[in-house]
Amino acid sequence: MNMSTVRWEDSDLAYDSSNFVRGKGHFVDDIKLQGMLFMTVLRSPYARARILSLKGGMNSQDLGAKMASVGEGADPGAGISIEPVFATGFVNYVGEPVAAVFAEDRYKSTDLLESVEVDYEPLKPVVTMDDALAFGPIHEGMKNNILVEATKGDDFSDPKSPIVLEDTLENERVSTNPIEPRGIVASYADGILNVWISTQSVHSIKEGLVESLNLNPDNVRVMQADTGGAFGSKGGLYPEYVMASYASMKYRKPVKWIETRREHLTSTNPGRGVRSRVKIFAERSGKITGMKGDVLIDAGAYGSGIASFSAQFVAMMMTGPYSIEKAFVTGRSLLTNKVPQGPYRGAGRPEASFFIERMVDLLADEVNKDPADVRLLNTSDKPFNSPLGMKIDAARPFFESAIKELEYRKEAKMTKGVGVSFFVLVPAVYPGESARIMVRDGRIRVWLGGNSHGQGHEDFVKKLVNEELNVPGDLVTLYRGDTGMTKVGVGSWGSRSAIVAGAAVVSVCRKLKKDVEDDNGTYSYELLLAGSYDEFINEEKRMTLNSFGANLASVEVGKFGTVRVKKCLAYYDVGRALNKEMVIGQIQGGMAQGIGQTLHEGLFYNEDGQLITSSISDAGVPLAEDLPNFGVKIAENRSALPHGAKGVGESPTIGVPTALIRAIEKASGLRLRKTPVTAEDLMQ
Amino acid sequence: MSTTKIKTRINGKQIESEVEPRKLLVHFLREDLGLTGTHIGCDTSNCGACTVLVDGKAIKSCTMLAVQADGKEVTSIEGISKDDELHPLQKAFLEKHGLQCGYCTSGMILTSLWLLRKNKNPTEEEIRKSLSGNLCRCTGYQRIVESVMYGAQLMIEKEAEEHEMVMR
Repeated sequence: MNMSTVRWEDSDLAYDSSNFVRGKGHFVDDIKLQGMLFMTVLRSPYARARILSLKGGMNSQDLGAKMASVGEGADPGAGISIEPVFATGFVNYVGEPVAAVFAEDRYKSTDLLESVEVDYEPLKPVVTMDDALAFGPIHEGMKNNILVEATKGDDFSDPKSPIVLEDTLENERVSTNPIEPRGIVASYADGILNVWISTQSVHSIKEGLVESLNLNPDNVRVMQADTGGAFGSKGGLYPEYVMASYASMKYRKPVKWIETRREHLTSTNPGRGVRSRVKIFAERSGKITGMKGDVLIDAGAYGSGIASFSAQFVAMMMTGPYSIEKAFVTGRSLLTNKVPQGPYRGAGRPEASFFIERMVDLLADEVNKDPADVRLLNTSDKPFNSPLGMKIDAARPFFESAIKELEYRKEAKMTKGVGVSFFVLVPAVYPGESARIMVRDGRIRVWLGGNSHGQGHEDFVKKLVNEELNVPGDLVTLYRGDTGMTKVGVGSWGSRSAIVAGAAVVSVCRKLKKDVEDDNGTYSYELLLAGSYDEFINEEKRMTLNSFGANLASVEVGKFGTVRVKKCLAYYDVGRALNKEMVIGQIQGGMAQGIGQTLHEGLFYNEDGQLITSSISDAGVPLAEDLPNFGVKIAENRSALPHGAKGVGESPTIGVPTALIRAIEKASGLRLRKTPVTAEDLMQ
Repeated sequence: MSTTKIKTRINGKQIESEVEPRKLLVHFLREDLGLTGTHIGCDTSNCGACTVLVDGKAIKSCTMLAVQADGKEVTSIEGISKDDELHPLQKAFLEKHGLQCGYCTSGMILTSLWLLRKNKNPTEEEIRKSLSGNLCRCTGYQRIVESVMYGAQLMIEKEAEEHEMVMR
């Protein structure tokens, strides 16, 4: 028997929540193969150093490959600054992989780290974005530390405005911190590289491995294990995946790598890490007539993916849902000696919203009006094309109903520390998604190109198959992602799955219906299930969707700067909710992350570029006792898609921080400019 | 490396094993015994994904060595239900959506079980306090708290039923 492959039964490959309450999930660390080696990675202890000598383990002398840019916000970036799989010549962040060692278990593998000898010559690191602008390039051959520079809108000279407000606003870096760290098992047998992995996208991983290791795509199969959360950090390729795959081919043995939490905090792409100078021009009425912005992205040490894409993405969204006629924003991604930045729930959307919403609140104070009224004044009851390139649906009707649904007026009268926010979420629709449905033995089996990691894709798949084909849900099974079952596919991120994977499922169902009609002259689900069918579609989608949302928060601030969140409410347009329970659960979870970012979470580095917040607690993941009960209301304004879905996953991380920071500002009387807001900030 | 003999009772079964003295209980359960329902989420005893009951008490199995479990009784998530029937708490978590990705779930259920054995009818505040050693990144905890409250009810009902059967 071939022991180099995982022997999971058919039912073990399905998404099934009931497994988790029984402890019968199929996570990547649960995989055990005969002869399997455990990989441990030796990482740089320095933020910046020259490697003088390196002996032992697998290192850049064995594998000189560079990282492919795949997944969410894939962007090849500048050639010189692409991350090598193993540090080559220099190390550029604490936690950068230098070498890998392999042994039959994790204890022995960790012991082997001592067999690697590295001599470093420490260099002065570029730690902050100010350092990045002030000092020379961290990479030889570059002119400076600007990775990407983008502009949105047309520049204009400052108008003579009765009101001009300017401020600098910032979100610290945040670690995504899914409770399951990253992990992979790679096994090479009979000329095929099989990979099991915790991921948002099996196709991104495959594409990345094929490109980085120059493999024949026909010889690589990537399969998703149960994935214990991701929040953006498991969408793309990482050096360890390339190493483990390469090692399995070199040693002809299965190789497992499981991240520790400390590795997650030092070496998994964190999100946020964005600052902007923002200037707004307004009338005394509170009507904003123009905006300028200068956005800086802390890209970290290497440029690819979202770290370079963010410069233009954040800039594009800076006018939010408001009808601001003139706007010009520059965005620059800056290289620093820190772990490369990546997407975190919202991936640019919460940052842009933070900048505009903080300015609108400042403006409300300046003109002495209620912030909700200033928001209303700046929305339109007609669709609006922003000067930065956003297409906004009529925003005012939604915000008018939000004020009512959230009972904002009442709360604002009763409570001093109250904040309200308004945003538009534009989900990542492009380039669409794939789906495959196979009908065999009276059952419906479904695969999607993008992969669930806790969102419950199986629920909307069952519902849509039932609606389109009348098949009872218990005969429909959604399987975890597998590049062996879908030829192409994209991934689960950007609030997109119910939209694009849902649309693909609907289209495949319609194909199947036609197949049955062609065969039988009529359709019934009995005829479908009696037959044998197999249909796949890669459905391209380009449309722009708007999901509006508003939040309300109220707080009390204690003597020692402690913040008690009294109310945290949401009113979101989710399109047609395919499963209301899952939608509300997902919103609650995102609201917790919104509170986390505002009050608790941040990655802090010292002047040597060492991570100070190096445990999951120090990084600030909120506890059960830190959080209130959430109040969630949804509006279901259908999208133009046949199944009516819109995006929702990222709404709460966009809308909660802005409402909450305003509530704290009102309660404390201090102007607040950055997240997280710490007790020290409030004791000034 | 040398090994040490330990005797433990795991999920009701007496087990004799040879383990390295440095091996953590969580690795002993997962790798030596194949009880992979106990998860590892951090290296610092913060996240609680590895929670099991040791002599009835909720313990983070990543902070305990396997040799320290010698002579003790360990219950992991695999040991709380009989045959195919789910434990009331497991039912409650499923029914009330007390999970999304499922990775923290085993630890959440075992910590809750420990709480409910001490306190049959806890308040929301008591539940939140008890669960503060267990991190969840998906749910925001609200549905977990609701699951524990519902599970408490189901456990009380089940106990009453069993009591009635004994009385008959």
